[in-house]
Parts: sequence; C-alpha cells; structure tokens
Amino acid sequence: GQEFRFGPCRVEGVVLQELWEAFWDMKDVVQAQDNVTSVRLLRKEILQNVSEAESCYFIHSLLKFYLNTIFKNYHAKAVKFRILRSFSTLANNFAVIMSKLRPRQENEMFSISENARRRFLLFQGAFKQLDREAALTKAFGEMDILLTWMQKFYQ
Amino acid sequence: VPCVSSGLPKPTNITFLSINMKNILQWNPPEGLHGAEITYTVQYFIYGQKKWLNKSECRNIHRTYCDLSDETSDYEHQYYAKVKAIWGMNCSKWAETGRFYPFLETQIGPPEVALTTDEKSISIVLTAPEKWKKNPEESSISMQQIYSNLKYNVSIYNTKSNRTWSQCVTNHTLVLSWLEPDTVYCVLVESLVPGPARLTRPSEKQCVSTLKDQTSELKVK
Repeated sequence: GQEFRFGPCRVEGVVLQELWEAFWDMKDVVQAQDNVTSVRLLRKEILQNVSEAESCYFIHSLLKFYLNTIFKNYHAKAVKFRILRSFSTLANNFAVIMSKLRPRQENEMFSISENARRRFLLFQGAFKQLDREAALTKAFGEMDILLTWMQKFYQ
Repeated sequence: VPCVSSGLPKPTNITFLSINMKNILQWNPPEGLHGAEITYTVQYFIYGQKKWLNKSECRNIHRTYCDLSDETSDYEHQYYAKVKAIWGMNCSKWAETGRFYPFLETQIGPPEVALTTDEKSISIVLTAPEKWKKNPEESSISMQQIYSNLKYNVSIYNTKSNRTWSQCVTNHTLVLSWLEPDTVYCVLVESLVPGPARLTRPSEKQCVSTLKDQTSELKVK
C-alpha cells in the first residue's frame, strides 16, 4: 500500500483519499465561514521548497498545532455545522500520522529543524495576528492547502 | 455612471468550469427577468490578497460567462469571483463563488491516444494533455509536469465477445497482449490524479482491428 515519506519519517496505514473525501464533504460549509479572505495562513512561500529532511520536522509541528489548537477548539463548531464525521476522520488520521512521526533529534540535524521551525512560526504568527475564532475557522478551511502539500510525500 | 444597487435579483449558479486550467466563470441570469436587457460585470479576488480586481473584458457584457484563465493561472493560489446583473440604472448585489482552487478542481482532460495493432496485440501510446496557455506561441506545459502522479484508466472493449476490461497505468505506453486475431477492439482512456474526486473527460472511443492470424492463413493454402 501507499505510505507517507517525510524524508526519513515513514507513515503507513493512512489512506489519504479518505482525508480528501472527508475535507471535500465540508469544504463549502467551512470555507464560507471564513470572512477574512485577505489573509492566507499557509502561504505559498511557507510551503515552497521544503527539503525532504525538513519535511518531517515541519509536518510534525503543523499536525501538533492542528490537533492541540485547531481541532481541540473547533469541535463545538463542527457539531454546530454538522460536520462531525469529517472532523473526526481528519482528527483521527492526523493523530495517527503524528504518532508515527519520529523527527530525529541529533545535533547535526539542528539547522534543518530550525528551518522547519521558522516556517512553522510564520504560519503560527499569522494565526496569532487574527481574532481567535476567525483564525480557527481559517486554519480549518485551509486544510485543502495542507493536504495538497502532504500529497507530494504520499507514495 | 455607477448603477444603483436595487432589488434586482442576483445572477444564480455562479461556478467555475475548469478543464486543464482553462478556467471559465459561468452563471445563470437572474430569475424572473426574461426578455430584459441585462448586462453583467465580473470581478475576481486572490485569496490572501487585499482587493477585488476588475476584468475589463467582462464589464457590462451580455453573455453569461467570462474567461478568467489568465487571472487564475497560478494554480497554487485560491480565488473567488463574483458577478452582478445590471439593468438600466439598477444593479443587483454581487453573486459570489466559493473558494476556487484550480490545482484541486480543474478537470484533467483525456490524453492523446495512438493505437497500432498486431495479430494478437495492440500497442497504446498516451500523450498527457496540455495546460491551458494564453498564446499558441507560448511553450506548452504538460499536465504531467503539474501532476507527477497522473495516471490513466484505459478501458478496452472486445466487440466480438462484448467483454470490457480496464487497466490503470502510470506510464505512457501499454501493450495489450493475448488478444483475438481479426477482432475489433475499442479503447477509451481517462486521466486520473489522486485527491478530491473530479469529473473526468474520457477520450474519444477509438476502434481498431487486430490482424488476421497469418499461421491459419498458411494452413489453408
């Protein structure tokens, strides 16, 4: 079967097509709630030219943030907008992916992990500049951008 | 003179029709205004940027579509578009699309299909479709370059046995072996990419006949 290969990090047992279907089922509802269209959190320059070595650190930070901040605080909205099934599919799969990521911590990887951290901080910084609820809604609606980036590492 | 936003009903069903990154905005006229001399004005917006932008060729137009391929050619960006109806001095509110993401939503057109036959086999050569380009002189970009994981679903129909089967291939050449001699086979190919489900556009059905079996011909003599 297919697996994610974020540089040295391998993640099996996740069917990316299911994540796509889950997001697409709620895309219009979720993105229609995002009124701050002048801001994009996952900007092109943040996602461009991520090296293989960097990718494991970067996706680990992103998924950790999505699980601990975005999914955690968006649950009530998911109930309200009746998208709980899609919400759960994505949350559970993100949790599985994150649990299987083992970014290396050796010293020689420090500069690479720092690059990845800088990218993540650009994303997180843009998130923090927005009103809390608006930021949650926007980040949730940008999962198509995140999944598109993840698709490149799925083989 | 700007029109007055009145109770004029908005255009309806505003969507992007996108094939190989040729992105056409289309809509239906407002309901209940049959026969009225309605014109339309279009604007578009790049998600993450600041302003709505005009499309000069789609200002006060009578048709109900507008080609925004050039304006939305960076397929890694996401876009909105909106259109309003104008009748005399009155205009409707804007009707707006959802967020349009060409990379995920464009339909991938069929490949070019070349067939050559033998007694018991058919060779198929596929050429990926090209991305929309503004000028014919521009160099072509293959959709394969944009979607490295582009695949093809090849359907084969044996007109003698009425049997159909299909194969999913990633490379551009395919040999169908162990076929029946002197039999017409029809081939149809669709392009596929992983990701959200998309409408597909199959190729024209092409039919060829395998050659007569030379060995049986010799025996007859």
